[in-house]
Amino acid sequence: MKAQENTVSKHNFEECMKCTVCTVYCPVLQVNPLYPGPKQAGPDGERLRLKDPFFFNYALKYCMNCKRCEVACPSGVNVADLIQSARIKYDRSAPKLRDRILASTDLMGTLARPFAPIVNGVTRLGITRTVLDATLQIDAHRTFPKYSSSSFESWLRKRQKEQAVYPEQVAYFHGCYVNYNYPQLGKDLVKVLNALGVGVQLLDQEKCCGIALITNGMTRQALRHATHNTAQLRKAALERGLRIVSTSSSCTMTLREEYPNLLGVDNADVRDFLTMATRFIYEKLEKGATLRFRPDYHKRVAYHTPCHLERLGWGIFSERLLRMIPGVEFTLLDSACCGIAGTYGFKKENYAASQAIGQALFDQIRSVNPEVVACDCETCKWQIEMSAGYPVMNPISILAEAIE
Amino acid sequence: MHEKEFDVIIIGGGITGAGTQRDCAMRGLRTLLIERSDIADGATGRNHGLLHSGARYAVNDPESAEECIRENRILRRIAAHCVEETEGLFITLPDDDLGYQKTFVDACRRAGIGAEIIDPEQARRLEPSVNPALIGAVKVPDGSVDPFRLCAANMVDAKQHGGQVRLHTEVTGFIREADTILGVHTRNLQTGQEEDFYAPVTVNAGGIWGHRIAGLAGVDIGMFPSKGALLVFAHRINQMVINRCRKPANADILVPGDTVCIIGTTSTRIPFEACDEVTVTPDEVNLLITEGSKLAPALSTTRILRAYAGVRPLVSADNDPSGRNISRGIVCLDHETRDGLKGLITITGGKLMTYRLMAEIATDAVCRKLSVTRACETADKPLPGSEERSYEAVARKIWEAPSMAQKAAAARMGTRAEVIRDAGREDAALVCECEEVSVGEVKNAIERMEVSTLTDLRRRTRIGMGTCQGEFCACRAAGLLARAHGCIERERADLRDFLQERWKGNLPIGWGDTLREAEYTQWIYKHVLGL
Amino acid sequence: MRFDTVIIGGGLAGLTAGICLQKAGQDCAIVSTGQNALHFFSGSFESLEEAPARLAGIFEEAGIRLHYQPGVRLMPMGTFRPAALSLEDVDILPDPAFSRKALIVSIAGYQDFFAAFLAEGLEKQGTQCRIHFLQLPEMAQLMMSPSEMRSVQIARTMDRMWEKVVGEIKVLLQDEDTVILPQVFGLQDTTVPGRIRQAVPARVIFAGTLPPSVPGIRTQQQLKRRYEVLGGTYLAGDEVIQAHVHDGVVHSVATRNLDSHYLEARHFILATGGYFSKGLRSNPFRIYEPVFGLDVDASEDRNAWYDAAFAADQPYLKFGVRTDPGLRALRDGVAFENLYAVGSLLGATRPELGSGAGLAIRSAFQATDQILRRSAPQEDGRPAGQSGESNPSES
Repeated sequence: MKAQENTVSKHNFEECMKCTVCTVYCPVLQVNPLYPGPKQAGPDGERLRLKDPFFFNYALKYCMNCKRCEVACPSGVNVADLIQSARIKYDRSAPKLRDRILASTDLMGTLARPFAPIVNGVTRLGITRTVLDATLQIDAHRTFPKYSSSSFESWLRKRQKEQAVYPEQVAYFHGCYVNYNYPQLGKDLVKVLNALGVGVQLLDQEKCCGIALITNGMTRQALRHATHNTAQLRKAALERGLRIVSTSSSCTMTLREEYPNLLGVDNADVRDFLTMATRFIYEKLEKGATLRFRPDYHKRVAYHTPCHLERLGWGIFSERLLRMIPGVEFTLLDSACCGIAGTYGFKKENYAASQAIGQALFDQIRSVNPEVVACDCETCKWQIEMSAGYPVMNPISILAEAIE
Repeated sequence: MHEKEFDVIIIGGGITGAGTQRDCAMRGLRTLLIERSDIADGATGRNHGLLHSGARYAVNDPESAEECIRENRILRRIAAHCVEETEGLFITLPDDDLGYQKTFVDACRRAGIGAEIIDPEQARRLEPSVNPALIGAVKVPDGSVDPFRLCAANMVDAKQHGGQVRLHTEVTGFIREADTILGVHTRNLQTGQEEDFYAPVTVNAGGIWGHRIAGLAGVDIGMFPSKGALLVFAHRINQMVINRCRKPANADILVPGDTVCIIGTTSTRIPFEACDEVTVTPDEVNLLITEGSKLAPALSTTRILRAYAGVRPLVSADNDPSGRNISRGIVCLDHETRDGLKGLITITGGKLMTYRLMAEIATDAVCRKLSVTRACETADKPLPGSEERSYEAVARKIWEAPSMAQKAAAARMGTRAEVIRDAGREDAALVCECEEVSVGEVKNAIERMEVSTLTDLRRRTRIGMGTCQGEFCACRAAGLLARAHGCIERERADLRDFLQERWKGNLPIGWGDTLREAEYTQWIYKHVLGL
Repeated sequence: MRFDTVIIGGGLAGLTAGICLQKAGQDCAIVSTGQNALHFFSGSFESLEEAPARLAGIFEEAGIRLHYQPGVRLMPMGTFRPAALSLEDVDILPDPAFSRKALIVSIAGYQDFFAAFLAEGLEKQGTQCRIHFLQLPEMAQLMMSPSEMRSVQIARTMDRMWEKVVGEIKVLLQDEDTVILPQVFGLQDTTVPGRIRQAVPARVIFAGTLPPSVPGIRTQQQLKRRYEVLGGTYLAGDEVIQAHVHDGVVHSVATRNLDSHYLEARHFILATGGYFSKGLRSNPFRIYEPVFGLDVDASEDRNAWYDAAFAADQPYLKFGVRTDPGLRALRDGVAFENLYAVGSLLGATRPELGSGAGLAIRSAFQATDQILRRSAPQEDGRPAGQSGESNPSES
């Protein structure tokens, strides 16, 4: 390549034209004046940080990493990556105990699961929530997701033999939520994939994708998870020849994009083996596979595109799948952040902002008044159920419900 | 005495003139500085901003080398807020003679410059952007210096010592009686107003334009304009200065300065008539990119922000009209002894790095003429803003938890950032988001630092020096300037001039993201704002 | 995924084309690399001097009202420009001397509205001006951030409190016949500018600000919503990285997000914009079109790209991709069978179509008309234009 034929910069920050379009679409900026905004925190700040890390601003922690700035940017600047990379590189403050607890989703799940009824009871108690609020700064309005008393992994492991008989096989990256809190979603996926003649396998050993570790400043742990999971994907993809599907948009984005872009873990050889279950199913149907839908099925569904699926650009697969179900009355909600952003909205200092960000979405849901909101993200589900008061289902669960 | 009478008039608002005014003022003289354009508009603001350790001159010009290292240590002390103590590398590439390294290091040591040979691996670790193919490296105490800030700080201090400053004012002739210069005729180029000023001594510190100024007094100084072109890259790729360890040549210094880095330079003799409008040619751009990429390969894939050129005021030794025997050293001419013309001194040659020494030499000469005996204190007294060594300490002292913009202000203004400590919300708002310049900082510059145009303001605050090259901040700043001087029509013209000046620097490197930005700027000013 | 038409670029040209085609019963996908130049739209359709009823109809259905009245427009720097067609809240005046006395109302702390420049420009026309800065405690939250007193953030607040502003204006108003306000009204609630006009007992003019443009963003959102209501697919934040061409026919395109999942279509519209939007790219050696490698009408000599005067018409802005009379894009001098180039990507290669917004709309209409005509079934049962004369070979 000739000199200056192409210019490049880390996360494309020099492509920024200073047009400020990202600031128009940043949900945090609209509610939290302490946040410098994506342009200042991202490409503007980067030039100063390259001069001296002293220019790092701790207010970058208010970024939710929703990546809507990246979707909006006319110049292809990876604004959120710049911000998160800066936090990883320069933030020397130790994560709070609260953040460690919130971020350790798999550890918490492992500990809590055997005592699920007790844990669920205790975390639901008003007194516990008040104590958590006061001691750990976890907002008292939040309800903790319930823990399931048996994990999805053990459920599926018991069914390995029956799964193995299907002519086609995929591996399933179920994530912490399906494993510890809501195995039913995993079971729904198995049902749908089985109906398509596809058996479901586990990875040898899956760890939390680590998204919460990244956003809570626990980079070393996140890197361990990334290295481990990438090796697991590699094993499934390259040794066992499997595609890997996921039902969580945030896990998928983390495994595919955040590992190489933020943590420097090269996954180029296996990245494209990992896909959202909705995309996998859509592509099968497009190639001629069929699902038999219940003739009596009827549901008014409003679909909310989670931020990370928006960034992946794959909302269209969920949308098209849902539209395909006879009996589904479909509404596409305006693409907007619900405000939870993983552990962000759990923190006391972010609670008000989190609710304010989601307000427009909650209002729209209420005006559409669907039977159910469909969404591919577990934390969006908690937020929308709590704040809009409508039940939320993963598109896979709706499919499972609609097929015979 | 009449207000138009001074002890000394200094012509030229470059670093030499500003430094000389400060020195004279600190020695109790009543001073007037006259500048045709703005401070730091000539060679002062059109170079690398390299805080030379002197290593570059050690082999060929030991005297300059010794001056540099002495002044280097002084500037770190007195101009802390203008200096970045980055250190520098002299690298040997496979094409270079590694044998030169020893000659170089020996010469450095003779000049008193700490030069330490380090192995290439260590060099790569210290400065990851360096060409990894290097076969040798020497670490020297180079650094970077912001010439605009340095010049402004000298001017501000001179004013605090009673000095007067007339910018955008041209000397149209000397007031002369027989063999004595009594003062100068001037014309303000913005208002057209003509004024005469008187002083027993006038110092010609006009840089390359000093040739013409001397001509007005009927004396000839054999100057030779030499153009040097440079490129500014859009962000820092290096933290240390990178030089080539070989005989000085084209494009062999890469200096990190503030938010950018600068590669240069070239050397081309040009005619005097060309000095006012130097442009950078495509050949020069190609040469700078090609040679620069040898120092740091990333330059070949990094966005370029602008190209600019300055004119070095080289002086040929007296009695050598051919100009072959050109000196880059300091030249101080007392025209009384040299040409029989009383009351005029020319201070020229030298370099940004040795401005303080030049000022001291010139001031000593002035003082001799005026029989003033007060000693020079400029090597000891810090410039305004430099009372504290690090901007980090400054920022933390002024604000409990400084924001990014406040940190940036502290880095630019040093301890003088104090004046914007209690800025209300309106004044804390940013005018320039690329370089984080607030309304308060702009107002301070307009009120206290002799600003009458946007370009002046740019030199005081870095407004318009960032990635967008003034696209967004120029019109905001124009609003503030218009409010200060109260003339919209003038400000609209000023805004056009400013955009033209920015475009001049973008055009030679108008491709890729820089062309995108240029198109966007065209769109905003022509179609959206209707300028 | 298969569509009737894939449109690359989601700005004014792309959305206009998408709406036209969806209305005609096509199934379209728009691939949009981030937001677009509508965010910097002045609100006036430059070089669209006539009033096309067709455009007004399309916009009306999207909830955007236009008005047509040849005259002049007050620019933010206090100058005047000829104008004819514009968004409803962007005024066209019969004459620069339209007012005897005007009240210019700005907001304390807002730097992106140039009240003093406006006043000076109007005073030259004999208009007596008074400037007032509103002190609004509601702006306190925005002003806590040094970079957020900007048009869109203010407009969000104004959507909630414009009535209070009207109340203050009523108190301020003396014998002025005109009130000039910044364009920071009606970001979400499109009725606000009209309601302000009704409530204020003087002529109200909304003058432009530094971008982002509030009327522009609103227009973008309305057009996009309309397109989606018509069933169009909008892939936001994605980018076409490769095209699959055979015998001069584009079969599909690959995008960065959808990687191996290609977007297939019978027709393709390239509406990727100029340099800013990367429809045209440049390096020291050439100016090129990155997706299809189309022929670009550009000088090979870099020195001829620029005019040294910033204010002059810049040659590089006239460069654009070459097309046949039907706007089909050319590569190596040969037209693609089913690829149309529209919008500012064309530069000044089709001067009869105008420039800016006018070019975007006229070329979008022309391309969609061609597509619809050629899609109409022929006697042999296949769409017209598939015969293929001489075409670029496979890429």
